[in-house]
Amino acid sequence: MIRTVIVDDESPSRDILREFLSGDEEFEIAAECVNGFEAVKAVAEQDPDLLLLDVQMPKLDGFEVLALLDRSPVVVFVTAHDEFALRAFDVHALDYLLKPFSEERFRQMLDRVREKVRRGERAPVSAMSSALRARPLQRIVIRHDDGEIQVVPVGRVDYVEASDDAIVIVTGGARLRKQQAIGELASELDPTRFVRIHRSFLLNIERIEKLALYARDSRVAILRDGTKLPVSRSGYATLKELL
Amino acid sequence: MKTPEPNQHPTIALYAMAALTGVSLATSALLLWSTGVPAGPAIVAAAPPSLLLGVIGLASRFLCKAMPLREASRSSIAAAHAGSAVAASSLWLVIWRAWLAILARGSGTAIKPDFSLLFGLGVMLYFAAVAVHYLMLELDASREAEEAALRYRVLAREAELRAFKAQLDPHFLFNSLNAIASLCGTRPLDAREMTQKLADFFRLVLRFGSLQEVTLSEEIDLVSRYLSIEKVRFGDRLDVHIEVDERAGNCKVPPLLLQPLVENAVRHGVASMLEGGRLEIRASMNDEALRIRIDNPADPERTDVRGEGIGLQNARGRLGAISEGRARLDAFERAGQFRVDIELPQ
Repeated sequence: MIRTVIVDDESPSRDILREFLSGDEEFEIAAECVNGFEAVKAVAEQDPDLLLLDVQMPKLDGFEVLALLDRSPVVVFVTAHDEFALRAFDVHALDYLLKPFSEERFRQMLDRVREKVRRGERAPVSAMSSALRARPLQRIVIRHDDGEIQVVPVGRVDYVEASDDAIVIVTGGARLRKQQAIGELASELDPTRFVRIHRSFLLNIERIEKLALYARDSRVAILRDGTKLPVSRSGYATLKELL
Repeated sequence: MKTPEPNQHPTIALYAMAALTGVSLATSALLLWSTGVPAGPAIVAAAPPSLLLGVIGLASRFLCKAMPLREASRSSIAAAHAGSAVAASSLWLVIWRAWLAILARGSGTAIKPDFSLLFGLGVMLYFAAVAVHYLMLELDASREAEEAALRYRVLAREAELRAFKAQLDPHFLFNSLNAIASLCGTRPLDAREMTQKLADFFRLVLRFGSLQEVTLSEEIDLVSRYLSIEKVRFGDRLDVHIEVDERAGNCKVPPLLLQPLVENAVRHGVASMLEGGRLEIRASMNDEALRIRIDNPADPERTDVRGEGIGLQNARGRLGAISEGRARLDAFERAGQFRVDIELPQ
């Protein structure tokens, strides 16, 4: 059996996916989700073979859902918008169904899925997650150990600190831990708003109160809330250009 | 709206002044000739004062502009130009005298024209120049008014076209068709109803596209049809509340004024909320103005926030065009609620 999770916030869209899937005995619906949060949870719990995923959903869109998955089902996007097709290709989606679609087109998709699942091919999660977010990133999505998902708009981030193999995102005093390399996050954020001021620090430059000379050739950034962060020489050069 | 500087016939004014110089030269030379001065010396004598009169005539344009016929009172215009005519003509006599004195010193024969006649001629030519200036200014003013009216018409037309295009958002159509396709399998009667709703909606949009104005009730009817289609897709997530008082319902509004705003309220508002929310439309008449308010929840963390969207700018442009700037449209977002307020004086 090919276990499938359906994700769409509109009920008629889920209905037609369910109806078309029920015509193929090899496919089984493992879960139906009405938003991205449910989708992340369902994939973690069910480890499905196939994810039929809408793109435009509240809070967490289809691409953000993919970025949060720690399993790698075959992904097929189902959307009324054709403008996401290129990004879908980037994240190795197997297919891209445009609403409304015919049953024939749906069957073709199922055949491709069948073939791929039989061959046991799955894209490695790590290869997917870095390529797939909107650039520059608008929201940072964090998945906590207990499975809870937190969405942080980038404007709310004060700074990001590297900590071992993870990062700590500091926002209004709260410290949120995320498994990601600081360099990777830096490359996803808008470089005119977030500056790598130091090997271990990525700073939202709107938070800077002033830059002070700390010792000869070494500077600190003083934030509005009084926090002091070290600024490396190359970090200072970048800041000077931007400010 | 910035009004471009109207064309003020500067070159035509210059031609008119050259003509004034010519007329002045001809008449005053003729005057001298009639008193027995030979033609050649008469023209030489008349040339510099005529040139001066041309310049004075040109300068009188500024006085004409400062005292427009429509705004300044008749008596003040008459007094200003009479005074100015006497001054100009006196100046012209001074030049005549000075120039004739120079000529007399050079040739030994003095020309003695009738200065009172020359004075009268100066006054007449001055008034001729003033008449020409006022004629030009009136032409400018009427053309300007025509251009302003045309600009408003073009603006209104453009806004209509944009609104009409925005109306036909293909994703609304694709999503609705997808819903119909889905209903066909499970609830064929609902599918039939939805095709009917969709057809009625688009027929109404097409009809509105060709109208100059509709009543608010008609616009609200269109909006309700739209919302009933979206309700099939969003289900309980979309809660609609519409309240329009009778006087407000009879007011005239530009067709498709509210539709794009309501569409935004659904697409960027209610649809951005996990649990959906309540879309409220209220309209009432007070203080002789139609007031319309649209309220909807919106996720402050949604990613499609891009300042003021085309829908709002369009609606504001159309309101401005039909009311010549008297209508207002304000949009705010606070604490997860989005609000649009429209005030249209009747």
